[in-house]
Amino acid sequence: MTVRLYHWEPNANSGKPMLALAEKGVDFESHYIDLLKFDQHQPDYLKINPDGTIPAMVHGDHVLTESTPMMEYADDAFDGPPLKPADPKERWRMRWWMRFFDSYFAPSASMIGWSIFVGPAVRQRPKEELEAAIARIPLESRRIAWRKAMFNQFSEAELAESKRRVIFCLGILEQHLTRHEWIAGRTYSLGDMNGFNLGYAMPLAQPDYCNDAKTPRIMEWLRRIYERPAAKKIWALGRTAMAQRVKFLERAAHA
Amino acid sequence: MLELYHSEPNTFFLKPLIALHEKQADFQSRWFDADQLEQFGLGLDGEVEAHLNLEREGPLLRHDGTLISSSFFMLEYIAEALPGVRLLPKSAHDLYRAHASGQFLGAHLGSLVPILGCVKYTVPRLQRDRARVDDCLKKVEPQERRLNWLSLLDGTYTPEILATARERLKFPVSRVEATLNSGPWLAGPEYSIADIDAFAMLRVLPDLAPDVVNESATPRILDFIARIEARAAVRAALATSRSGKPQQHFVPGVEPSRWG
Repeated sequence: MTVRLYHWEPNANSGKPMLALAEKGVDFESHYIDLLKFDQHQPDYLKINPDGTIPAMVHGDHVLTESTPMMEYADDAFDGPPLKPADPKERWRMRWWMRFFDSYFAPSASMIGWSIFVGPAVRQRPKEELEAAIARIPLESRRIAWRKAMFNQFSEAELAESKRRVIFCLGILEQHLTRHEWIAGRTYSLGDMNGFNLGYAMPLAQPDYCNDAKTPRIMEWLRRIYERPAAKKIWALGRTAMAQRVKFLERAAHA
Repeated sequence: MLELYHSEPNTFFLKPLIALHEKQADFQSRWFDADQLEQFGLGLDGEVEAHLNLEREGPLLRHDGTLISSSFFMLEYIAEALPGVRLLPKSAHDLYRAHASGQFLGAHLGSLVPILGCVKYTVPRLQRDRARVDDCLKKVEPQERRLNWLSLLDGTYTPEILATARERLKFPVSRVEATLNSGPWLAGPEYSIADIDAFAMLRVLPDLAPDVVNESATPRILDFIARIEARAAVRAALATSRSGKPQQHFVPGVEPSRWG
């Protein structure tokens, strides 16, 4: 049964099921949805996911629209190497960290990213066009987010708090990786895949706080993940300079 | 050894109590008074996950030395690690539905319900002893956890913000009602952790948001609450209350989205 995956770049939420499926050894039918052209709010896509969020996975009669639970589904529904630890305590730790990445680290990192990348990338268009684009967004929370990004409505205080949180998160992640080889413990898992999607470009986005001197464990963790064939395969699907930032993790680049 | 640190059996604290009773698990109840902020004096040494507690306040489960935090993941842990009834959906897709439900309701109900409950019930109790509360909160880390309490006490939640919170409840509540319209449980044909998770937050809404959850607007949710309240494990969990009114005891919950 074919798996259809509707996704943007191998980055953040889109990259999570892409990497999980690749690690599982599942080929998927790739449908590229250009976030910056608002493909996700077009009628054709809204027929698949009425919420207008990406990614979306279609497997048989099932339509899945939440990226982290989608990763668990990739592990549960298909044959292939297990992507979750067998030990329930490690599995709990994996899930805790995925929620930490999704609900605490990512919103702050993405607020910074949207203010310097997504917002400027779409802001040149006429205001009427942007307002019409916002009006097509089904979810109120996403309308608020897009309005903030499009019209640069992030306050200095919000961005400063986001930066504080990103630095804090890098600190506790570094500390965690001094105690555990992988996010869950002894086993490479969905938690690492989730974290990689959030963190692969952190050495470039936050060079003063994420580097070989200050966060050697994070750097080594990112490099170990990027050396995996699945990550190489998925990040090669990137179409923009954003995904290309992953090449910073190649060891030869700094030898 | 299995120990559950919890306060009154409501919202976050109610979830693991139900699951442990469903499992008929042999556990030690370690009750603390959240109104007295006793959770900050428990002296539990855990790793970063217990210290940060993504829900900010809530139960902690100590199993053979490891501290488990975050109520939905605690439910998954109880379901997976302990013998007894399964509590997990069987098919991969129903498991997905359970995970997605826990994530969605955790973000929406997990932030909105505690605000409404704390403002109505907890804050008036805390204000009676404000100097002691302020003194205790001074030492609380991480700062998000401290600020969560202080925002309740400093007037952040104006009537307008509370009205917005009630309005925003309509989105998750309508999704739950729609799901229950197509089947008796939230994640497939059988009762599961998704139902326990949702029930613990929905149960208080006929009181906190009667305009949103009522017989006319959400008959399926009211039926769902009644069916779960009738379960022996739920009655046993609610019987751990020391106040006799657990539905009037709240702690601050998940931080509302910083994106607005």
